[in-house]
Amino acid sequence: MSEIAGKLFSWVNDRLPIVNTFERHLSKHPVPSKVNFWYLFGALASVVLIIQIVSGIWLIMPYSNTEEEAFSSIEYIMRDVDYGWVIRYIHTTGASMFFAVVYLHMFRGLLYGSYQKPKELVWIFGCTIYLAMMAEGFLGYVLPYGQMSYWGAQVIISLFGAIPYIGESLELWVRGDYYISGITVSRFFALHVVALPLVLIALVFLHLVALHEVGAGNPEGVDIEEFLDDDGVPLDSVPFFPYKVLNALVGIGVFMTVFAIIMFFFPEGGGYFIEMANFQEANPLVTPDHIAPVWYYAPFFTMLRAVPDPLGGLIVMGSAVAIFFVVPWLDRSNVASIRYKGIYSKIALVLFGVSFLTLGYLGTVGVTEVRKTMSVVCTVIYFAYFLLMPIYTKYEKTKEVPKRL
Amino acid sequence: MIKSSFYGSQFLTLLSFLVAIFFINNINAAEGGPCKDYGDCDKFKYSLNDMESLQRGASTYINYCYGCHSLQYSRWGRVAKDLQIPEDIFFENLVFDKSIKPGDLMTGAMSDDSVNWFGVAPPDLTLVSRYKGDDWIYSYLRAYYEDSSKQYGVNNLVYPGTAMPNVLLSLQGNQRLVCKNIPVIANNGGEKRDENGNTITNEKCGFLEVQEGTGELTKEEFDTLIYDLTNFLVYVGEPIKATRERIGWYVVFYFLIFTALASLLYREYHKDYLK
Repeated sequence: MSEIAGKLFSWVNDRLPIVNTFERHLSKHPVPSKVNFWYLFGALASVVLIIQIVSGIWLIMPYSNTEEEAFSSIEYIMRDVDYGWVIRYIHTTGASMFFAVVYLHMFRGLLYGSYQKPKELVWIFGCTIYLAMMAEGFLGYVLPYGQMSYWGAQVIISLFGAIPYIGESLELWVRGDYYISGITVSRFFALHVVALPLVLIALVFLHLVALHEVGAGNPEGVDIEEFLDDDGVPLDSVPFFPYKVLNALVGIGVFMTVFAIIMFFFPEGGGYFIEMANFQEANPLVTPDHIAPVWYYAPFFTMLRAVPDPLGGLIVMGSAVAIFFVVPWLDRSNVASIRYKGIYSKIALVLFGVSFLTLGYLGTVGVTEVRKTMSVVCTVIYFAYFLLMPIYTKYEKTKEVPKRL
Repeated sequence: MIKSSFYGSQFLTLLSFLVAIFFINNINAAEGGPCKDYGDCDKFKYSLNDMESLQRGASTYINYCYGCHSLQYSRWGRVAKDLQIPEDIFFENLVFDKSIKPGDLMTGAMSDDSVNWFGVAPPDLTLVSRYKGDDWIYSYLRAYYEDSSKQYGVNNLVYPGTAMPNVLLSLQGNQRLVCKNIPVIANNGGEKRDENGNTITNEKCGFLEVQEGTGELTKEEFDTLIYDLTNFLVYVGEPIKATRERIGWYVVFYFLIFTALASLLYREYHKDYLK
C-alpha cells in the first residue's frame, strides 16, 4: 500500500514541484535565529486572514443581501442559526484584530527598517494589502445595513463627490443609485465576498514570495547572507520548521486567548468594534446623533475633518495612506534598525506613534475647538515624520551595526 | 523567543499606555451624558442566570409593553425555553392570541393606527438594550414626572419630550419634580451653620419624588420591577449572552493550556540553537 502511495507521490512530484516548494518556502526556509515579538505579527495577520475567509464563507450562507432582509438576516444569524453568533462574532472581532495586528506589523516595519533595499517590493505589496484591507473593511461594514452602515457609507461615498468634474458621476457609479439602497448593498456584497478577497489573497501571495526571495529581516538590521556555511545556508539562521513554527505557535496561542476574551466577553469592544447605533436598522430619514468611523479608520477620518475643504481633506487623507508606499526612498539612513539609528529618528518615530494614536482617538469623539487644533497639529506631525525623513535620517549620527546576529 | 529588545519594550510600554487611554475614553462619555437632564445614567448590572427575574420581566413586558412594542426578531417558543417556563403555562398565561405557534416571531399586536395616536410608530424593542444600553433603559423607565404641558401629562428627564406615556404610572404612582433644601457644605467639608447653630441650606430643584400612596408599588418594588424588565430586554437583545459568557471561559482556558504547551515545546527546541 505504502509502496503504491510512494510511487504515486513521486509520479506527481516529477510533474509538480511539491517537495521543492515545500522545502524552499516552508520546512527548510532559513530565517534569522534572533528576532523578537515584533516579528510575530506577520504570521498572526495570515492567521486572521484565514479566520476571516472561513468565517466569512459560513456567514454568506444565511446572509441576505437585499435592502429588506440584510439587517434582519443578521439577527437571524444571531438567534436562529445554530452557533451563528459564534461565526458572526468571530468575523466582527476578526476584522478589528486584523487591523490591530497589521498596524503593529507596519509599525515593526518602521521600527526596524523592513522596507530598506532589497525589501522595497515586499513593503509595497504590504502597503497595497493594507489599502485593499481598508476597502474590504469598509464594504463589509455596510452589509449589516444598520444605521452606522448606512450613514458611514453615505459619508465615505460622498467623498467621491469632492473630486472635480467627474465627482458626481463617480459617486453615482459607485452607489449604483441616487441614494444608498439595496443596489448598493448587493454590489458591496459582491465586492466584499469575491473581488477583494481574491485581490487580498493574490497580494499576500506576492508579499510572501517576494519576502522569501530577499529573506526576512531582524531587529539588529544585520544581513545574515554575509556569513554562510558550507551548504550556503546563513550561519545566523534556523530552518522555518520546526523552530519558527513553534515560535509562531506561542504567539498564536497568546493571540487567540486575547481574541477569545474579546469575542466571548466584549464582542462590541465598548462600541469600538461594533458600534451601538449599528443595532438599529438603516433609516434614511434619521441621522444618528454622532457618526463615528470604526476605530481602525479613525486616524484618517480625523485628517479628513481637520481640513475644512472637502477636496483638500480627501487629498490629505489619501496622501496619508499613499505616503507609506514611498518610505523605502525616503529613508536615507545607512542602518536599518532603530537600535543603530540616531536620536532624531527615535524622536521622530515616537512623535509619529503618539500623533497617530491621538488622531485615532480624535476620530471617535465629537469636534471641539481644542480637538480641531489638536487634529491639525497631529496631522502635521504625521506628515512631517515622512517628509522630513530624508533629512533626519541622513544627517544623524548612527551607531555601527555588528557583523553577526 | 519573545525576548523583547530594550527599545522594543520601551515602545510597547508607550503604546499600551496610549491604547489604554484610547479605550478608557468611551464614545458616549465624551458627548455629554446619554441620560440628558437626568445626569449620569444609573448603573445596571444584568443577571441573565436569574430566571425568576427574567420571567417577571417577560411577564411585565408582555402585559404592559407588548401591546405597542413588538419584539420582531425573537420567537415565542425560544423565550419560553430560554426562560425555563413550561410551554403550556407560558402559552396559557402570556400569549393572548391563541393562533400563535411557538416558532412564530413576536411581531406585535399593534394596529396601523399607532402613528395617529402617538405621532410616531412605537419602535420595535428587540435590540433596544444594544443600541441604547441597559443603563439608559433602567434610568429612562424610572425618570417620568408629572408635566401638564405635555400631551399625556408626563415628561421624562432621560428623554425630554418623549412620545411615550408613562404606562407604568398606576404602579409607580405620581412622580413629580420637587425642590429640596440641601445643606451648604463649608470649606472644611462639614455642613455650614449660622450663629444659632442651625444648618444653612440652599434650595435645589429637579429631584424626582413619588407622591406617597398614589402607586400600587413602593419605590423598592417599582425599582425591582424595572430591574426585571430591563434584565429581560438585555436577554432579548442577545439571547445567547449568558451562554456566550459561559462557553467563553472554556475557550479561554483551552487557549491558555495551548499556549502553555506550545511554550514548553518551544523552549525544548530553543535549546538547539541558543546556548
